[in-house]
Amino acid sequence: MSRTLAGEAMLFVRAARARAYVRIVGSFREPNGLLADAVFPNLGMCAFVMMYRALGAPAYYEALAVIGGILTTYWVNVLWGMGAQFYWEKQAGQLQLYFAAPCSRMAILAGMAAGGLLASMLRSLVGVALAVFVFRVQLEPFSPWHLAAVFFATMAALYTLGMIMASLFLLYGREAWHTCNAFMEPAFFLSGLYFPIRTLGAFGAVAAALLPLTLGVDALRQVLLGVRSPGLMPVRWEFAALCGFAVLYFFVARWSLRHLENLSKREGRLTQRWQ
Amino acid sequence: MAVSETFTRLRTSAWLGWQVESNWADPVVFFIYLIARPLAVSLTLAAMYAATRDSATHGAAFAGFYVANAFHAYVNTVVVGMGWVIFEEREESEMLKYVYVSPMGLVTYIGGRSFVRFVLGSISAALMLLVGWFLLGVRWDFALTRPLPLALTIVAGFAATLAAGYVLCGVAMVLTRSAMTVLEGCMLGLYLLCGVIFPVDLMPVWLRPVSYVLPFTWWYECLRRFLLGHGSSAWMSTLTDAQLLGATLAVCAAFSLVAALAYRELDRLARRLGRLDQTTMF
Repeated sequence: MSRTLAGEAMLFVRAARARAYVRIVGSFREPNGLLADAVFPNLGMCAFVMMYRALGAPAYYEALAVIGGILTTYWVNVLWGMGAQFYWEKQAGQLQLYFAAPCSRMAILAGMAAGGLLASMLRSLVGVALAVFVFRVQLEPFSPWHLAAVFFATMAALYTLGMIMASLFLLYGREAWHTCNAFMEPAFFLSGLYFPIRTLGAFGAVAAALLPLTLGVDALRQVLLGVRSPGLMPVRWEFAALCGFAVLYFFVARWSLRHLENLSKREGRLTQRWQ
Repeated sequence: MAVSETFTRLRTSAWLGWQVESNWADPVVFFIYLIARPLAVSLTLAAMYAATRDSATHGAAFAGFYVANAFHAYVNTVVVGMGWVIFEEREESEMLKYVYVSPMGLVTYIGGRSFVRFVLGSISAALMLLVGWFLLGVRWDFALTRPLPLALTIVAGFAATLAAGYVLCGVAMVLTRSAMTVLEGCMLGLYLLCGVIFPVDLMPVWLRPVSYVLPFTWWYECLRRFLLGHGSSAWMSTLTDAQLLGATLAVCAAFSLVAALAYRELDRLARRLGRLDQTTMF
């Protein structure tokens, strides 16, 4: 019996909500893990801020490193909470359950993204607290609507990219795991998380065309720091590009999930652990 | 006899460690993977420096930060990597309990695995220094280098690195799922607390004692002074070379002793809590 479109949509929402629930409860289950999760990722940002201070750089650089550092938490979540999640599931012998379930894989990934986004909020709040109370970062007056629009466009682009990465784990094991691992610092560099992306010149523009994080960081800095942070492009262009990335990555992720699922089933690698 | 047996065991676990670390990829891919992270960190630091070159007032300090950051590869790769060995053996391959009861014993096994990590850390550090020297212009005058104190410093730092690695092994044994976050957090925490890319004088006063009991704080300052000819900390610059070296050796020795005791206690605690075969992740 075929389901109606409304039924499909309802199933999608319910599956996404269920997966988000697990992600949120899982994130808050271990108090010491929660504390470590919220505090530790911000320590790297503090070190970079201190380096600017040690070099005697103007305070503006500290502000841009703090904004970059806060966004780091989301990139880490995209890589490990989204990209590598199917690896964990495969190792736990649970991945096949997702494929046996009547809902779409996109619903499960969307739930993971929503849950991960909420869990990452805590980390970023610690980063914001550090920025305000410890580093005394000075922001320009800004529109909260602009901030929200740019932030959510960035998150949509990042998490749909995470969905594409997740699809790789249907076929690959440790190769994809190590690729995620190797993506951490290079992505920090290519997106100019701790320095103005214009420092990289034309190379920075190429990075922006490849990584939504680059555009997201640049746009958020322009919104929060105003004229002190001359960006690669005007904010509205960057916002449009981020929305474009999100739509493009969504469809690529959908195709990639379907394609790699079929390939993985044919090669018998969907349930293969320790590969 | 006992020495040769221990050596054989160390060699076997080192070989196994190499297989685990590298057999997922062909050599070219593995090499790219190996250099991607350290290269990116070097380039990030260089870009930060380049961005502020015209406006920074203490730009000359950058070389010292860069050198310390290169040597911090040992902390990232060896110290945190040793903790990851426990985590992976218990959670992923579920072999920890068998290694623990084997005649080789866990301490020897981890020692062998740490050797591979040490080699990988050396490649990372060397690569960062070479990239700095040839591509980024981070150079120094070798006439100011003091080879003997530098050699002693490096040996003391390696001993402290190994000792800290065993402590994190103990921590990873006691913790379950959260060990992963704590290990990564320790990497970042040490990056901050040891003043890798800034002088520890900039730390809040209440945090400085923590920095001073960590051997890596002293290690990095010695590396800067004995390799480049100048340190970065104003307080440590009041010490003579002999005082600084003596303090570094003393802190490293004391830390290693405390680490050995801490590992023993954490091992005991892990057994009491039944953590050696408690899987929570996969």
